Amino acid sequence: MKLKEGFILRQIGEKYVVVAVGAAAKNFNGMITLNSTGALLFNLAKENVDEIQFKNALLSEYSGQITEEIALRDAKAFIQKLVEAGLLK
Amino acid sequence: MFKLKIADVVFGVHPIYADCKRFCSDFIYAGAEEPEFIIKIEKSDIEREKSACYPEDYPESYLETLALSRIFSSKLLSQYQGMLFHCSSVKYNGNAYLFTAPSGTGKSTHASYWKRLLGDKAVIINDDKPIIRRINGKFYLFGSPWNGKHHIGVNDYAPLKAICVLTRGEQNSIEKINAEKAIPVLLEQTVRPSNAEDMFKLLDLIDAIVKESGLYLLKCNIDPESAKVSFKGMVGEDYET
Repeated sequence: MKLKEGFILRQIGEKYVVVAVGAAAKNFNGMITLNSTGALLFNLAKENVDEIQFKNALLSEYSGQITEEIALRDAKAFIQKLVEAGLLK
Repeated sequence: MFKLKIADVVFGVHPIYADCKRFCSDFIYAGAEEPEFIIKIEKSDIEREKSACYPEDYPESYLETLALSRIFSSKLLSQYQGMLFHCSSVKYNGNAYLFTAPSGTGKSTHASYWKRLLGDKAVIINDDKPIIRRINGKFYLFGSPWNGKHHIGVNDYAPLKAICVLTRGEQNSIEKINAEKAIPVLLEQTVRPSNAEDMFKLLDLIDAIVKESGLYLLKCNIDPESAKVSFKGMVGEDYET
């Protein structure tokens, strides 16, 4: 899976926001708020990526602090969030 | 062509309809400064507004003023660290206080309560779409010709002090909110650029605004007493009669 074109990520305050520009803005005129982990995964999804890569990114980001099981659960939850927002192609 | 000075920017306008100049009359610039750019309104700009406003059927002379606001706000964002912001704005004691919310929530009504409460000590700078602009690192609120259906506004400016998001409530109460809560509202109540470069500029501008302004959420009913609650909350003093 991969992000559709036209979504940009920017840090505002302590959070990150995702908004659409260009053609993508016709179907998505809201915004998504992410924390720094969400932003990390979002940037990964600019290239083709799967849930295992998400999981591994989380494991290396939180090295020793989370189990593989939790990392996989969070990776899936993030993918779900992207799907619901219509950001994936 | 005529010259305007809005948000401290001198520029020229080539309209199609004569009404445009009348609409902007408070902001006509008669000084010697050369315009920094010229906005020439084309038929296609008006057509674009027509489709954006559909199914409402507005006269083309009015749509031209909307086209002008759209083109000018895009210039502001790309070159002047400024943005058009949908709010009612009151100047009190030299500072600008902004009330923002989706249309129909009661921004104008609430601003008029401030005016009623504070009399000559308060000025409604603009009742609909003033401009927020950063100059030398500091944010200001500037009046604009786009001052809403009741045409309440003046050609004035003031340092931006606080932004208050309005929601309807049974009781009147005000609280400070964090940037995270304010950002979606700010993004919602401005003109969103369609290209990435200007969108980054807008997000950076909003980032700076939320860092440097007081941010509040006001729950209010339609009682004029609500102005006392927001005044005390934002200005930090009891109002004096």
